[in-house]
Amino acid sequence: MGGVVGIYGFSKEWRMARFLYYSLLALQHRGQENCGIVTFNGESLVQYKAEGLVDQVFSKPETLENLPGWVGIGSVTSTPEEDPSKIQPVIVSEPVPVALCFDGKILNLKELAEKENLNEDTDAEFLAKLFSIELEKTGRPTEAMSNLMMKVKGAYSLIALTGKGEMVACRDRFGIKPLAIGSFGFDYGVVASESCVMDVIGADFKNDIQPGEMYFFDAYSIERKQVLESKPKFCAFEYVYYARPDSIVNGKSIYEVRMKIGEKLAEEHAVNKGEVVLGVPETAIPFAVAYSNKTKTPLGIGFVQTGRRIRSAIKPTEFERIVGVQLKLNPIRSAIAGKVTVLIDDSVVRGTTTKNTVNQMRNKMGAKEVHVRIGSPRLVAPCPFGTDVPEKDELIAANLKTEEVSKVVGADTFYWLSLKGLVEAIGIPRKNLCLGCFTGKYPLDGEKNG
Amino acid sequence: MVRKTVKVLLVGEAAREHAIAEAICRSRLDPKLYAAMKLNNPGIASLCKITGGEVILGDYQNPEFVVETAKKHHVDFVFVGPEEPLFRGVSDELEKEGIPCIGAKRKPAELEMSKAFMRRLMWKHRIPGRLRFMAFSNVEDAIAYIKEYAESVALKPARQAGGKGVKVIADLQAYLTSEKTHVKEEHAKAIDEKYMKDYTDIEDRILIEERVEGPEYTLQTFTDGRTVKPLPLVQDNKNAFEMDIGPETGGMGSIAGKGMLLPFVTEEEYRRSVEIVKSCVRAVEKETGEKYKGIVSGQMMCTVSWGPTIIEFYSRLGDPEAVNVLPILETDLIEICEAIIEERLNKIKMKFKEVATVVKCIAPKGYPEERNLAKGHPVHINEETIKKRGCKVYYASTNLQPNGKIISGGSRLVEIFGTGKTIPEAGRKVEECIPYVWLEDGWGVFHRSDIGSEQLLEKRIEQANLIRAVYKYRAKKGLIGKTVEWIPKKGKIILET
Repeated sequence: MGGVVGIYGFSKEWRMARFLYYSLLALQHRGQENCGIVTFNGESLVQYKAEGLVDQVFSKPETLENLPGWVGIGSVTSTPEEDPSKIQPVIVSEPVPVALCFDGKILNLKELAEKENLNEDTDAEFLAKLFSIELEKTGRPTEAMSNLMMKVKGAYSLIALTGKGEMVACRDRFGIKPLAIGSFGFDYGVVASESCVMDVIGADFKNDIQPGEMYFFDAYSIERKQVLESKPKFCAFEYVYYARPDSIVNGKSIYEVRMKIGEKLAEEHAVNKGEVVLGVPETAIPFAVAYSNKTKTPLGIGFVQTGRRIRSAIKPTEFERIVGVQLKLNPIRSAIAGKVTVLIDDSVVRGTTTKNTVNQMRNKMGAKEVHVRIGSPRLVAPCPFGTDVPEKDELIAANLKTEEVSKVVGADTFYWLSLKGLVEAIGIPRKNLCLGCFTGKYPLDGEKNG
Repeated sequence: MVRKTVKVLLVGEAAREHAIAEAICRSRLDPKLYAAMKLNNPGIASLCKITGGEVILGDYQNPEFVVETAKKHHVDFVFVGPEEPLFRGVSDELEKEGIPCIGAKRKPAELEMSKAFMRRLMWKHRIPGRLRFMAFSNVEDAIAYIKEYAESVALKPARQAGGKGVKVIADLQAYLTSEKTHVKEEHAKAIDEKYMKDYTDIEDRILIEERVEGPEYTLQTFTDGRTVKPLPLVQDNKNAFEMDIGPETGGMGSIAGKGMLLPFVTEEEYRRSVEIVKSCVRAVEKETGEKYKGIVSGQMMCTVSWGPTIIEFYSRLGDPEAVNVLPILETDLIEICEAIIEERLNKIKMKFKEVATVVKCIAPKGYPEERNLAKGHPVHINEETIKKRGCKVYYASTNLQPNGKIISGGSRLVEIFGTGKTIPEAGRKVEECIPYVWLEDGWGVFHRSDIGSEQLLEKRIEQANLIRAVYKYRAKKGLIGKTVEWIPKKGKIILET
């Protein structure tokens, strides 16, 4: 998982590093392990990247001051990298210098690496190398990126920078990962994983980059090209969990979708005598608000967070996830004690965090009953496209029936949102969504079968 | 009554002048067109030839050249297309020789030439739609001001500099202020060193205005100094690329109609816009002692401060805006010109075809930032096919060579005009003509496919509704033209806007 941003200033007096920094802060929820920025200083590509959260990595003022230039790209990822040079955006200097970052996963890496005689480690390094080779071959960034898009299979929302300061951004034919475009007056264009970036840096969100589409920016033009036929298979999990509620993804407001999910939960599995509804912060808050509105069950605030905002579900180790959840969810006794509570969360992966929360509510805070409602369908399959969903044997829903899950987490009743309910809440036709983690059927299978 | 031929000298060579030339040549008064141009615009050249007139190549910014040409060909009047000849006194010099001119004299033309003069005039005469501003005669003072008051501003050359050098910076995120301040300072220097370099005819150098936002539109009018006759409202699109992304251009295309309004401007806003322009025309005469005769256009914006607000004035028709309205003008343009000259414009009834119009500009790659790359390419324009599709070509920065080849001049190549029952219908018609213009050496061209689209129109309407709701709220609270602030330890302050 990750978040990407690229900013292209239309005049050279702009210094974009600070804009990139705040863009990455706005994308921090998409990846909290490491981050980096690469800018073009007028002559060459300069970089700064490290392990850590965005404000930790760029805590010293000189880190941004040492990244001059009117064009640059940046990324955050949730994948730990031991070797700092592998942190995105990666820079490749041979045969021609390029920098590249992307959100997604390449599926035909092995096959392609053999064919192209490449031995790069990570997807990002491989893509950067391939782009560099194609760029040397064609001499034109648009052609080089088109060739790359035709060769690579998988999910990618990608932004690259050439050694001459040209910027290219593209999205795979399924548009699995989000990618948006915006601008600020006559001054700069911006491409980013989510539209919330535009709000944070004061730019205007214009549109989603369409599946299979490419944008090219240089000193005297912006080009848009439909390189691959658009076959939308937008990731449904973005709506449930990943994207920020102030973003618009694939033309749909995340906030609105989450409110609809809450309504659907109320329609499908209302708790009859619920006395208070509590949403697990932060993702599940809109679900709880809408559930409360629909069922007229009073809404409460159940938990207070300690320390930094951490997205516990995408932390790489079990220990970090538990620490994350425990710090994030300090329960408020008065909201819970003696009440029939409806606890709403966005998803259940392994069940451990839900179990932890329910136990606290029942055993320590004295909840009378705890009814759990989940704003997504049963999570039964991993994600081949780079979303951090673990393998099947780690997914509680893939292994236990709902009644058993209920017992494991200690709930009085436990329900998932139906798949139909999710699709309706998103408001995009089912055929245009990737629901792989809920069904085990992925868009690429269809392609293979013809 | 049989009238003799009317000889007109047209000054300028852009698409705007092509549209003026065509409207002149449509006159029932047997016109003969002469054109003073720097580049040989193929469209205008052809109209000169058809009417038995002539092309005279030369520096038309030089009043002597224009006067000599007018005298040599015994023209009845001169029509000045662009603004710069007016600033250099072409109209004044012609008057001395007894040759009437459509185009303001030097002093009234200051309404466009000096943005500082215009703002002072609006304040002095309390004309609605004005903005707070500071004018600086040296860059150091401007920079000192920028440093102390980091805020959302528009930085402009104090003089009209060929439409270039304006930078609008929204500075609303405290955490990005340092970068914005840097750009403001750099731009203030650029205004002084680059955009104002060639101009010494006014004292002010840099203008800093409060930044406003909202939908923009152009109100073009004819005036004889007593009567102001508006043309239908037009909206231009300034960003180079689609979805309003990219650097500022002279305009990539424009929409109008149908009728006098735009879909996002109300009758009342239109009426108030006309009133603002009229007030300014009267104020100019009071201030300069000279009647404003010719063309005056308000580059306007609907803002939360006022509703209709003046961004800039033009002493000319807009380009591409002229191309939206002149082809659908049913009143005889020569009759309008004669009425301006004789100060009886009140007797003229302005009639336009009841259609929506869309104009799209096609530019070579390189425009607007790297014009030397956009220059010197052989141009192919399949005018016949475009005509068959019901659209028209207006030639812009194109130079007709003696061997018949057309070479790009570095700016927009052509403007394609089309009509329809609605703006999107006209837009679709024009869009279909885009493939019939290209550069023969393979250098790329670009245009904006979104101009005239339903989608872009909806965005404008949405934006206008938002702004309208706010200025109406402010009007209800008695806040039009002022801002009420409360400053700790100082108390309530009422600022005039």
